[in-house]
Amino acid sequence: MLYAPDTSPIDLPTFHSVISLPYTLTPGRCAGTFLAEMPNRRIVGSRFADGSVVCPAQDFSSLDGEEPEALVQAPETGTLTGFTRVGTDVIGLIRLDGCANEFPHRILADLPAIAVGMRVAARWSDDDKGTSILAIEGFVPAPDAPQGEVKPLVGPAEPLGVIPYAMALNYEHAYGPYYGRMFDEIREGGRVMGVRGSGGDDALLPPREIDDITHKRTGTWKACADTGTIRACSIINMEVYGQTRPVPYVYAEIVLDGASTRMIHMIDIDDLESAKKSIKPGTRVRAIWTKGERKGAVSDIERFEVIDA
Amino acid sequence: MGYSQVAVLASAQTQLRPAWNDAQHIDLISAVVGNVFKGTGLTLDDVDFVIDSGSDVLDGRSISNCGFLGALGAHHKEEARVEEDGLWAALYGVNKIRSGASSVGLIVAYSKPSESDVDLYWSSMVDPFYQRPVGFGQKAALGIQAQRYLAAHGITDRALADVVARRWAAAAANDKVAMGKAPDADAVLGSGEAALPLTNLMISRPVDGAVAVLLCDGDIARRSGRPPVYVTGMGTSLETHSFAARSVNRLDSVEKAAAMACGKAGWASGAAADVVEISGSSVIGELLTLEGLGLAAAGRGIDAAMDDKVNRSGGALPADPIMATGLVRLAEAAKQLAAPARAGLAGPAKALVHGTGGVAMQTNCAFTLEV
Repeated sequence: MLYAPDTSPIDLPTFHSVISLPYTLTPGRCAGTFLAEMPNRRIVGSRFADGSVVCPAQDFSSLDGEEPEALVQAPETGTLTGFTRVGTDVIGLIRLDGCANEFPHRILADLPAIAVGMRVAARWSDDDKGTSILAIEGFVPAPDAPQGEVKPLVGPAEPLGVIPYAMALNYEHAYGPYYGRMFDEIREGGRVMGVRGSGGDDALLPPREIDDITHKRTGTWKACADTGTIRACSIINMEVYGQTRPVPYVYAEIVLDGASTRMIHMIDIDDLESAKKSIKPGTRVRAIWTKGERKGAVSDIERFEVIDA
Repeated sequence: MGYSQVAVLASAQTQLRPAWNDAQHIDLISAVVGNVFKGTGLTLDDVDFVIDSGSDVLDGRSISNCGFLGALGAHHKEEARVEEDGLWAALYGVNKIRSGASSVGLIVAYSKPSESDVDLYWSSMVDPFYQRPVGFGQKAALGIQAQRYLAAHGITDRALADVVARRWAAAAANDKVAMGKAPDADAVLGSGEAALPLTNLMISRPVDGAVAVLLCDGDIARRSGRPPVYVTGMGTSLETHSFAARSVNRLDSVEKAAAMACGKAGWASGAAADVVEISGSSVIGELLTLEGLGLAAAGRGIDAAMDDKVNRSGGALPADPIMATGLVRLAEAAKQLAAPARAGLAGPAKALVHGTGGVAMQTNCAFTLEV
């Protein structure tokens, strides 16, 4: 089991983090046409060389990778082949009339009214008239629905090219005993503490239980200075997604006095030309702490600045 | 030159907990990497390569293994990441040793699902145009799989609950899983609906933890002073991504993977095994796996599930460290073979190990182990 670190336990809350990335998804011809036809309230399938029809339309057979011959218009009626309930949503597998496959969608009925083999019909949404599969709100029981037919797709809409999409993933990261004490010391004492490596006096930052290089236990805790030396740097003058400050600034890898590893931080600059002259590997820098209450984060150091020779 | 024999030499695990709130990934990883060598006579210096399994989506950072290299003991070593359950990492490692390219491999798998939203992890695996918007994901797929199985085979909820309760009792006895009082069948039935007809306890419980397994060639294994457990067969197979297009009420890919592994081992079927460690994503997934492995006829997985030899460790239902679960099964099976008396076995034995990944067990992997 984990070794107990030589410090009292730090009871920090977890570190909240969000990864939120914008995407432009490419649905391809078949799914692109299916979605483009949603506002027209037509359900598009793919017909393959053996005559089988798959709906919703797919560019490739999920079984053998074959490409379809043509797009077709599928009927709005079908049969329920399986179902479950997750939360309040009933989700079923539906085989549309004349189609070879099944697909999941919402079933808009109470459970007692639902049985495998029952006839269902698509219900178009009153709210969503856009290019989403949710333009079909779901499928409702339709016991008397006549058998529908697959028809040629007359005058298909242009397939959607790309679809703007976003997915956000939330995290609650544990600090663990070592990062926990480091951030606690930053918050409480305004000092940066590491642990000595397995074979020397210089500290590893961030601190950890096992020395990365020797894979031996690290040593005792040690406070590092908030001054240090740049060992690598780059002047950033391009705006990219995810930046936390306006350009230009310097990204710097700084070895604090008393440490053996580099910490990443930023140096504000006035202009590119003077920065090129004054900021380079070997330049001495000092931390500028934020004013007011510290949060226990690397951002409690607002930036580093060059120590004038 | 013939192929090398490959042995599972040793393993180490952290406790499997609903949440390791006071430890990072690297804390869990370095704990198992530090412990796995104990008693083997080997050290990290003897390790030729490190292969690890984890999920960037679960870990909340891309190429997450890069940040874990030091904890993994991989500094200046050959290292590779397998974005699939750790049993596939072991498969990769066995092949590297068996080919003669290496002698000692360290396989590590880790998981901290407590740090993220597991439903979103599963949601990220399904189609974004047709499936995600309608709420289709792991729970829905497992629920539909279960609904169809129960309808086809007339198994009762109570019988399923008995299997789940048995797994929790086994996990409690094995003492690797953090839990309160092990739930009995009534508690399983009363644990709330997850995906009709499955209750929450009928779906595998995500837990945090790490596991390390040391693989080595036959010569090193024989010199180690520990009873070598040899990998005699491996197989892997995938279902189509489209859940609706898969065979109903069977896991074809389990059958294929088992046929490949048992064929290599020279076993007539998975029924030859004295120890069976499987990773069911749900209790129905366990039954389907047992049927695919050849331990029960279609629809009769419930009989094999109550056999003493199945999931003595408790399996995945009480503790599913997603991406590490199959490697935990390998570690548990190897321990049972290496110390048969402790596991209640008469003597030298054969083990069958199963790992899975993907929505509703899309990918499956099987190992045969022998002493």
